[in-house]
Amino acid sequence: MRSFSHISAATVDQACSLLRKYKGKAVLNAGGTDLLLTLKGEHLFEYPEAVIDIKTIDGLDSISENEDGLKIGALAKLSAITRSPLVRNGYGALAEAALTVATPQIRNAGTIGGNLCQDVRCWYYRYPRHIGGPMTCLRKGKGPCLAVAGDNRYHAIIGGKKCFAVCPSDTAVALAAMDGKIRIASASGERTIPVTGFFSPLGNGLKSGEMVISVEVPKIKGTAKQTFLKFTLRKPVDFAIVSVASVILQDKGVCVDGRIALGAVAPGPVRAEKAEETLKGKPITPELAAEAAEQALADAKPLSMNAYKVEIAKTLVKRAVLTGL
Amino acid sequence: MADEYRFIGKTIPRKDAAEIVTGSARFLNDIKMPGLLYGKVLRSPHPHALIRQIDKSKAANLKGVKGVLTWEDIPDWRGGTPRSTRVLDRKVRYVGDAVALVAAETEETAKEALRLIEVEYELLPAVLDMEEALKPGAPQLYDEFPGNVVKPGVPFFGPKSLKDVVMGDVEKGFQEADVITEGTFGYENIPNPLPPEPPGAIAQWEEPNKVTLWVSNQASYMDTVTLFHVTGRQVEVRSIGGPCGGSYGSKFMSWQVQSYATLLSRATGRPVKLIMTKEEHLANFTLRPSSRIKARVGMKRDGTVTAVAGTWMIDTGYYSMTTQSQVAVGAGEVQIMVRCPNWNLRNVIVCTNRNASGIVRGFGGQELKCCLIPLLSLAMEKAGVDPLEFLKKNYVKPGDGYFWRDGIWYEYRGVDYTKAMQSGAERFGWKEKWKGWLKPSSIDGVKRRGIGVGVHGNADIGEDSSEAYVRLHPDGTAMVFSCVTEHGTGQRTNFLKMVAEVLQLPVERVSITPSDSLVNPYEFGPAGSRGTYAIGSAVIAAAEDAKQKLFEILAPRLQADPKELDTSDGFVFVRSNPGKRLPWKAVGPDRTCTGFGRFSPDYTLSNCMMTFIEVEVDTETGKVTLVQVVNATDVGRIIDPPGLEGQLNGCLGSAGIDSAVFEETILDRRSGHIMNTNLIEYKWRTSLELPPIDNVVMETPIDSHRFNAVGVGEIATSPGPSAVLMAVSNAIGTWMHEYPVTPERVLKVLGKVKPRVRRGKGGEA
Repeated sequence: MRSFSHISAATVDQACSLLRKYKGKAVLNAGGTDLLLTLKGEHLFEYPEAVIDIKTIDGLDSISENEDGLKIGALAKLSAITRSPLVRNGYGALAEAALTVATPQIRNAGTIGGNLCQDVRCWYYRYPRHIGGPMTCLRKGKGPCLAVAGDNRYHAIIGGKKCFAVCPSDTAVALAAMDGKIRIASASGERTIPVTGFFSPLGNGLKSGEMVISVEVPKIKGTAKQTFLKFTLRKPVDFAIVSVASVILQDKGVCVDGRIALGAVAPGPVRAEKAEETLKGKPITPELAAEAAEQALADAKPLSMNAYKVEIAKTLVKRAVLTGL
Repeated sequence: MADEYRFIGKTIPRKDAAEIVTGSARFLNDIKMPGLLYGKVLRSPHPHALIRQIDKSKAANLKGVKGVLTWEDIPDWRGGTPRSTRVLDRKVRYVGDAVALVAAETEETAKEALRLIEVEYELLPAVLDMEEALKPGAPQLYDEFPGNVVKPGVPFFGPKSLKDVVMGDVEKGFQEADVITEGTFGYENIPNPLPPEPPGAIAQWEEPNKVTLWVSNQASYMDTVTLFHVTGRQVEVRSIGGPCGGSYGSKFMSWQVQSYATLLSRATGRPVKLIMTKEEHLANFTLRPSSRIKARVGMKRDGTVTAVAGTWMIDTGYYSMTTQSQVAVGAGEVQIMVRCPNWNLRNVIVCTNRNASGIVRGFGGQELKCCLIPLLSLAMEKAGVDPLEFLKKNYVKPGDGYFWRDGIWYEYRGVDYTKAMQSGAERFGWKEKWKGWLKPSSIDGVKRRGIGVGVHGNADIGEDSSEAYVRLHPDGTAMVFSCVTEHGTGQRTNFLKMVAEVLQLPVERVSITPSDSLVNPYEFGPAGSRGTYAIGSAVIAAAEDAKQKLFEILAPRLQADPKELDTSDGFVFVRSNPGKRLPWKAVGPDRTCTGFGRFSPDYTLSNCMMTFIEVEVDTETGKVTLVQVVNATDVGRIIDPPGLEGQLNGCLGSAGIDSAVFEETILDRRSGHIMNTNLIEYKWRTSLELPPIDNVVMETPIDSHRFNAVGVGEIATSPGPSAVLMAVSNAIGTWMHEYPVTPERVLKVLGKVKPRVRRGKGGEA
């Protein structure tokens, strides 16, 4: 690790004004589980001048519910989310997604804000400085995306453009299926954006001086079946090759409302809208699930080595729909 | 039977157990000393380049930096076989090759200094595939290796050092065959054995030509030998081994990291610690050799192999230290597995611009079999032969023979392992589960199960030399002088058990010296599975020799012939009249009694491990899950029951069975970068995903040493990978021939993935 200033922020306002003061040369430290890898791996060309500790901000880790839905503070630990009766009972797919993240130790340190804001896992982007120096790519400001002509087995199959790294967040996928929103603060006020709008190929939707303060999830009908499926090479401690979250409300076997989000296939979680339309108003059968799966991946354009992800994604969609039965 | 021994076969606590579990064991990185500096390595971003110039002035001037070395600053020290590879060279040959070394007061300062070294490279074309490397006009890595072919043979193995397997008449063999199959098969995923503790060294230079090295190696004595030769026999090397956090063979290749520390200590006059990071461990340290065969086999309907012919190509990466040895031993091991009178298996070792391959447990044989068994399987299918029956029939039997690594024919005089194989098959339920080639053993919806079997054995259990002293003290204690290092198997405690058994002394009264080359005699180290037989024999012989000398001293006082004496619990007594006895201290308080023991190589015994695998394949996702693993072996006699179980349960990791499931080093074949340099991207099994492992261990006395035991630890990893391919092939009904069996490969073989390649240049798509 190199030298940097370390500042503990007491309030959101203070954290945001520090971000502004450092003009993009400061980073926030919530759980630090992803940040430390970046600081130690030194894989970026820029190194932060300051690390702003936001663990010192009070009240940003609450989990609460009102008639509109669930609200989780950005500093809520992933482990707290997995244990929270509110989340488990009403928003089970989110609790399940949080439970699939990394290890118990990391879930005890990592926060939901950090899980949403973590950097991508692309191995070209993250190539360590100490083995010959960082690799240059478009995400870092110059050159092409190295994955396109390189080893792209884990990269995007939908909507890459410029950078084909996928969103590594598991909670984002569950939140996307739940129409979750992200609340963002800056020195000049607050704004709210849908989770699906938060991610773009070259980074997340935070502008300079902004930070995530909470996530909000509209209330889900208790009878809706929620599912989170994550396909990994290794059961624990692994990022998704593909994940699928679904919230399916059905009445006597007929799908009233189905919401399906795909993870690790694109720069952000992707709502499978065509599949959702396919399901709507129809009795859920294996044939319908298979058709929905085809629809969900209809726009997939795999790279040279990741066509298998399309098949896995279809399978997970199909299985998610059928568990809603 | 077991009752005739006091210690052998009994479970006793390991001597180092409390230290390890309480964290007080001092591993290499725990060692601190006054004035210690920290070393770091600047590594090449290019797979192949010449260094035009290096400007180290800024780095050298950074506060806290005590030394910066480039290829221009160091003597012409070289490693490899033959010694071709300089510690630092003007040429870099892979992404991560060492360019400069820094020693500084702190690790952070050393890393900061690396950023300040300016290097100008002249890029050279690189070659990353072995067949490309062999083509005329391919980029050349070394002037010494024209055509990128590494000079075959191992001087240490003698003038006839085994290269190819050539005997009989293969044309005649093919004429006699009922079926002939041929093809190209590879085991090319270059897994990293990945010991938990990364490689490293601490060096303290002493002018004019001495160095003391604190090392982490399974064979610390050999570091003195290797480094001595690396320095052109100019430097006197003392090595001190401590607890080694795993090696699996790989840390035999520590000469570079040891040379870095030595040169930095020499340059700074201070001790230097240089320990690789996990990234360096994954990107710059020993990988399994990449192996590919283009071969043809002939087989009769009864499973008799009539001919094996073809070429075995081995990609050693940017240099070879031990690959020729692995080829020699692998060529020997294949004859142990397949009885065949007609061979023409040629090999070629190729250099390419990637990180080096070298010693990994399985040592050539695992690599060769992982290619050959799939080819043999094709023949077995055609001939309608059950693989279990095939392997039982063709494994070496007493009276058979093989050319071993020295090129000499040895007649095997060990036990027939058929019984152990059969017991394993019964435990596994082979008969019930085997439905024929390419047939699943069961189907449950989209999930299909299949089984496979593999076998491996190695005559290395008696290879190389070991020496030991045993010193008896008047207070009734004994000390073993052996340079054997503890690398996780518990063997140091096992040698104490052997000595305790010979001397009939409580184990607590037997101790062992630190693994210091200054104190102890020659020890090749616990390489392969040689610990139990080879090292054990030396230690036993030393204890017997010491005992004999003790008897000679005390015989006159007991008015008996030394032959009539025996010893127990620190007393020497007359065997026919145990009441007539003297304590050891009767030798006098100013006297010790030292015995010497030596083991010289014996290649007439081999161990054996058969592994049965059942997998479940999700045919919709391509995911392969291990359902059951059964290992079957015969060890002659168990020395240490839990230690043995640990070794057998180690069959999955360290580039073993999981090298067929998900362990692999991923090389970008365009740029030469290794992409998975962390423990998330490098897939390895955690304890949450352990399949049931069942071990069948038989104890048929083997004519090794007085305890009739042989080692098997090394080979636990070796039979499994090809058995996984076999099991997956049977589960899905289609041949699966690539390692590892990733979801992508399974789905492709099932015809479910038809790649649609997105066109367009990077970033513009």
